[in-house]
Amino acid sequence: MKLKEIDRTAMQAWSPAQQHPIYLATGTSAQQLDATFSTNASLEIFELDLSDPSLDMKSCATFSSSHRYHKLIWGPHTMASDGSLSGVLIAGGENGNIILYDPSKIIAGESEVIIAQKGKHTGPVRALDVNIFQTNLVASGANESEIYIWDLNNFATPMTPGAKTQPPEDISCIAWNRQVQHILASASPSGRATVWDLRKNEPIIKVSDHSNRMHCSDLAWHPDVATQMVLASEDDRLPVIQMWDLRFASSPLRVLENHTRGILTIAWSMADSELLLSCGKDAKILCSNPNAGEVLYELPTNTQWCFDVQWCPRNPAILSAASFDGRISIYSIMGGSTDGLRQKQVDKLSSSFGNLDPFGTGQPLPPLQLPQQTTPQSTVLPLKKPPKWVRRPVGASFSFGGKLVTFENIKSHQQGPEQQQLQHHVYVSQVVTEREFLNRSDQLQEAVQSEGFINYCKKKIEAAQTDFEKNVWSFLKVNFEEDSRGKYLELLGYRKDDLGQKVNLLESCVYVDGLITQALLTGSFESAVDLCLHDNRMADAIILAIAGGQELLSRTQKKYFAKMQSKITRLITAVVTKNWKEIVQSCDLQNWREALAAVLTYARPDEFAALCGKKT
Amino acid sequence: MVSVINTVDTSHEDMIHDAQMDYYGTRLATCSSDRSVKIFDVRNGGQILIADLRGHEGPVWQVAWAHPMYGNILASCSYDRKVIVWKEENGTWEKTYEYTGHDSSVNSVCWAPHDYGLILACGSSDGAISLLSYTGDGQWEIKKISNAHTIGCNAVSWAPAVVPGSLIDQPSGQKPNYIKRFASGGCDNLIKIWKEEDAQWKEEQKLEAHSDWVRDVAWAPSIGLPTSTIASCSQDGRVFIWTCDDASGNSWSPKLLHKFIDVVWHVSWSITANILAVSGGDNKVTLWKESDGLWVCISDVNKGQGAVSAITEGQQNEQ
Repeated sequence: MKLKEIDRTAMQAWSPAQQHPIYLATGTSAQQLDATFSTNASLEIFELDLSDPSLDMKSCATFSSSHRYHKLIWGPHTMASDGSLSGVLIAGGENGNIILYDPSKIIAGESEVIIAQKGKHTGPVRALDVNIFQTNLVASGANESEIYIWDLNNFATPMTPGAKTQPPEDISCIAWNRQVQHILASASPSGRATVWDLRKNEPIIKVSDHSNRMHCSDLAWHPDVATQMVLASEDDRLPVIQMWDLRFASSPLRVLENHTRGILTIAWSMADSELLLSCGKDAKILCSNPNAGEVLYELPTNTQWCFDVQWCPRNPAILSAASFDGRISIYSIMGGSTDGLRQKQVDKLSSSFGNLDPFGTGQPLPPLQLPQQTTPQSTVLPLKKPPKWVRRPVGASFSFGGKLVTFENIKSHQQGPEQQQLQHHVYVSQVVTEREFLNRSDQLQEAVQSEGFINYCKKKIEAAQTDFEKNVWSFLKVNFEEDSRGKYLELLGYRKDDLGQKVNLLESCVYVDGLITQALLTGSFESAVDLCLHDNRMADAIILAIAGGQELLSRTQKKYFAKMQSKITRLITAVVTKNWKEIVQSCDLQNWREALAAVLTYARPDEFAALCGKKT
Repeated sequence: MVSVINTVDTSHEDMIHDAQMDYYGTRLATCSSDRSVKIFDVRNGGQILIADLRGHEGPVWQVAWAHPMYGNILASCSYDRKVIVWKEENGTWEKTYEYTGHDSSVNSVCWAPHDYGLILACGSSDGAISLLSYTGDGQWEIKKISNAHTIGCNAVSWAPAVVPGSLIDQPSGQKPNYIKRFASGGCDNLIKIWKEEDAQWKEEQKLEAHSDWVRDVAWAPSIGLPTSTIASCSQDGRVFIWTCDDASGNSWSPKLLHKFIDVVWHVSWSITANILAVSGGDNKVTLWKESDGLWVCISDVNKGQGAVSAITEGQQNEQ
């Protein structure tokens, strides 16, 4: 599915995988001329913004340079200049010079962007590659079998990997091994590929097809297997991709014959070794699996040849293809709908032509009658098999009861196409985070089941850290014992017996309130009343006595009367106790009227006569 | 702290991509690149294969159990662009619905909280998210959010059902008005929060913090507090915890849990939302817990052995 499009005739280089956001650098290509036949050269940096659904890529920076390029690569080596952007752009020019640019300066818009340049080669530099392990090493190849290894830290003097191959021929492509850092391979149009060992400083093996019809246009190492590489042939008579294993270098391991005409460029995905892109003169971009030889996907492209195809290092689903019609297209292999693309074209047209009345003639256009399409193919089918970066190898999920389900796919280390033994296990584990808590809960569970509540509480009381906790557990414990109420009161500190003693020992009246409260809370009204009387709180005493029952009341009354002595006390006493005899007997003769009045009011009929008799 | 109680040999013929237990923890569903979905009975440490479901034509990426109140229902999504809903009727598992409305691999399925009904969200590599709602009688209603994430949506996760103003008494007999929300993570490095308004789904928030594909998002289960928490993990090795304190869901603030050296594939919350399981890189599963505002790794479930190892400070720094 096509994501973006840039109208440039240029060599392209993606920013390295560590770089975020993703940039695409383009340098005007030396080999092609665009429609305007201009000889202006520029180096541009575009930003890939996927959240923007339109087809245009945002240009971050343009630098017009005096050179045109045959090759452009972006290495991750951080140079001395400080900028947020790491990396260095290495360009191979048409005059045999290699130029180093600082991308961060280009983006910042500065004019001094060239870090260094060196013109050591005798012809155009067509091949460049950065070493994966030692990112300061760059290999370049040009005419006359010239291969130089440059150290970006010491750019003045390059090394050579060994003696030049004879006869001298152009180097069309060069690549560092992806697994071993000192191995380098170069290929030339004659069909010969040479593998160099830099430690020994000499070529270790020369690979060539005996048919001698190979015109090597591109070469790539296997991302996972150190000894395997592919060579692509541009020759229309032999439009193949040959897969070689250097351990068995007399003939290719496999030959992929999926193109009908010569192949111009290939790119092997570092994220998934089963994805190899190839573009050919049959205007097809194919994605095939070199390990199995089958074609996985054909990109839907226009009918132009692509001379350069690159995988994006950071986003493994994205690739860019530069074609001869002056366009660089960005594709995604994950599939999707091309409806958005079509809509954009429709929008473009309608904005140029005005919706219905383009020429202002006052007459709308007749409705467009499209020929009936048989099956509207708006969906782009993705790869037959999902790429490696989509397949999730590990996961974990929680479940009820603290269980954790984990699965994993362990590979045993076996290289190559042999059956890989994968163990497919799912583990169910118990996750315990609060071990102590669980212990306590277990104990409680046990106590509940065995009904040993009292013991449990006892244990808790012993283990209690604070007084508060102790009290709480004591309460709980009491709940399970008999006479819970009484025990509760005890805990509270109110003991009936104690109270009695206290009252008796009462010397001072300072804390009588407290004592009264205690007495009342424990329900001993007598003590409370006594205390009140003792404290001269007559009113309180009487009120309490009423609540305490008839007997208590009478006793209280007696005590009260005993205490109080006022003039009319005796009368009150008599009224309450109904003891009229005494009144009658004890009153003075002068007060006989009062006595008679009292008798008349209060005495019962039978007593009446007796009392009157007494009087006289 | 983590002890293996059961090892299930699934006898899948290819990589396993997901394993989920049902609501009660009695059944385990697994799915694999061998295109099958298997269901095991794992009570009491046993493993009995109950069903081997075939119906997908490509690797199956994820399975999700629906709430048991709807019966025994399992959803699966696959690279073959299909979403299949399986149901157990009279002891046998059968396909009850198949959805083929996506143009590309469907990467994730997630059932909505049961309070909303039987609704399934599916995220696909074509960038769209579909919502399948069961309307009864074998009929499903489909709503599609196109272009949710350019070049692909990798994960969907529903927010727990929360009734707005639940502190105030609802008039009895009325169905409460839920605000349905879910989060999705995609290949455009974004996490988006979607909200249903007037029967349409709208993008409510866009959370930006990752520098590479968001592989998984997980909305933490609700424990009654008004805060919402989302965990997200990405290809760039970072796991972020996003928290939102206000009920309207407007201000999300990220906190970096950890930067791992390898891609993190999956994050999953425990039922009480206090432990996060992070699965990444080369078969490494780690458990994280928050204490005093900092996330601490409490365990490292070692590959294969499920070994208990409380991770030490030194090891933690190494990671």
